[in-house]
Amino acid sequence: MSSNTSRREFLTTGLSAGLALPVLGATSAMALEPQSAPQAGKAASPAKLDYRTLGRTGLKVTTVGMGCMITSDPSVITRAVDLGINYFDTARGYQQGNNERLVAAGLGAKRKQVILSTKSHAPNKEELQKHLDTSLRELNTDYIDIWYLHARSKPEDIPDDQIEVQQLAKKQGKVRFTGVSTHSGQPQLLPWMVQKGVFDVVLSAYNFTMDASMDKAIDAAAKAGLGVVAMKVMAGGARRLKPGDPNLKRLTQEGAMLAALKWVIKKPSIATTIPSITDMDQLDENLKAMANPLSAGDEKILSAHLDAIRPLYCRLCGQCDGDCQKGLPVADVLRYLTYADGYGQFALGRERFLELSAEHQAVRCGDCAVCTVNCPHGVQVPSQMARAQELFA
Amino acid sequence: MKSAAFLLTVLVAMGTARAQVAPDCHFAPGWESSGSVRQFTAENLYDYKDGAADGYLSYGFARMSSIDCKSGPDTLTIDLSEMNDADAAYGLFTSNRDPKLPIAKIGMGGQIQSQSAIFAKGKYYVEIVEVADNAEADHTAVMQAFAAGIEKRLEGRVTTPEALLWFSQDNLDTVKLVPESVLGLKLLKRGYVAKYKQGQAFVVLEATPESAAEVFKKLREHFDGATPAQIADEAFQAKAPYLDGICVFRKGRYLAGYTNLPDAQQAAALAAKLATRIP
Repeated sequence: MSSNTSRREFLTTGLSAGLALPVLGATSAMALEPQSAPQAGKAASPAKLDYRTLGRTGLKVTTVGMGCMITSDPSVITRAVDLGINYFDTARGYQQGNNERLVAAGLGAKRKQVILSTKSHAPNKEELQKHLDTSLRELNTDYIDIWYLHARSKPEDIPDDQIEVQQLAKKQGKVRFTGVSTHSGQPQLLPWMVQKGVFDVVLSAYNFTMDASMDKAIDAAAKAGLGVVAMKVMAGGARRLKPGDPNLKRLTQEGAMLAALKWVIKKPSIATTIPSITDMDQLDENLKAMANPLSAGDEKILSAHLDAIRPLYCRLCGQCDGDCQKGLPVADVLRYLTYADGYGQFALGRERFLELSAEHQAVRCGDCAVCTVNCPHGVQVPSQMARAQELFA
Repeated sequence: MKSAAFLLTVLVAMGTARAQVAPDCHFAPGWESSGSVRQFTAENLYDYKDGAADGYLSYGFARMSSIDCKSGPDTLTIDLSEMNDADAAYGLFTSNRDPKLPIAKIGMGGQIQSQSAIFAKGKYYVEIVEVADNAEADHTAVMQAFAAGIEKRLEGRVTTPEALLWFSQDNLDTVKLVPESVLGLKLLKRGYVAKYKQGQAFVVLEATPESAAEVFKKLREHFDGATPAQIADEAFQAKAPYLDGICVFRKGRYLAGYTNLPDAQQAAALAAKLATRIP
């Protein structure tokens, strides 16, 4: 790749690469016209729905599902079902269980028409068993379609006794399929899940800001038969950005969130997505992702966003390997910083940083008069390395 | 220059630390801290709360101090969240409370269970969660001791938001602050929703009577077939998909009403009573 490749070109290249991937056997798409579901008083035009198969579960899921975590009213869920969305996600821990109650209220008698997932962050098997029974009661259902161990980032976070609880629940008919949700560590965790052979689905953070190692991990998992559900598809959205941050304007401009969602569902390995949907307007907006594929205009929006973060965002191309006069593994350190700054995973970033040799941990980039690392993609290496050292060391 | 900047950073950090109330573990015999106090802001709350962080952020989260406490094989975690204001803290409490349990008199309101406690006081929202060696053990007394001890250290309002008093108490199920998109409608930005055995009431406060009038106008246009009603400054009633019988009125800066009733007339009758209680 030329040394002046822009983020936009990178994005386009990445997209082309994604399109060039062979369509997986388990991934098929079809379009259906759902019933019209007017929005509280207003007529709505029918949405186009796309379906894919969720890995070895065989479940046909709409490529746009619904994350219910911050849904403001049960009526939004009811309407989403009427519009044809068929994948709904909640968790035991959201609002101390009140979110499961809201989902139950929204689904009502239509619960069996949809695929319902919940998650447990229980730290041990006893709590995990209790969580399952509580989830069943609060969701007003006698089975959960997909039950995730919540927010695990490495194999050590998934003890055998918790897997046994999942498998027992499956045998008892309380759970149809089991999975793990993860915000980080996918390159290590997903191959382990595949090798373990007991999981059906992975719910993973995935969005347009992520590096190539994430794509590899997700493609391999899907190829091995794991159903892949994507979350954090809006790259954290605009909620965490402060007023005055130029990305706030970019991410809140019309179509920006939709472009990010379209980018994710363009990837064949992703069976469905669970963007958080607060209200009827967001529901209508997200449905458009199934009707209109990623366009040049969408790419422009995402490119602008990536251009904005380019000085900060390492794409792990490896072209700087060996450039640092102090021998620092620059791409690795920048990746740790991305864990903290990009994905909000400070602990993981620090943990990885502390795995560096003592000699490398002690290096301070501010001590070098001139930095010998020149990123071909425009990442401001000295300042970013200094920030990582300030943050983690 | 670098030293001066560093000193400034340290001083700012110290100032911030002083402004925060740090939780500790000495509220019940036998409990000791395990590790140091962890600090979280909106930037790294995902680190700790994962997806649930969005819930905190939507209510107006400023920062959190968290500490683990140990007593023998049992561990409890105290999360002390500072919200933007007392209404936000109470709002987060209403979002997290178990609607099947009564509200205890701790700060503005709280709930204590055998291995967990939550309450709000002033701009603070507190969660105490125990991971006991025996998941069935009743540690209510420990939860009460911790909640009472922390509550004493926190300054701030102990009365609930005024708007809660306006809702009829007859057949009231729960009241909660919806931080955005009340009734699932983006137009209604933030407000209280009271759920009843049948139907629900809501109150949304706008910045000015003019902005409230603007929202009211858009809302009326949103509902096909809306007809005027004689309540407060202006009102309409309608029968709408998902919200059934609905009546919305504006009184000064407030937009309020009833929804999910069998017909619009019933909603209008209840809305008229609600209007008399709003100042």
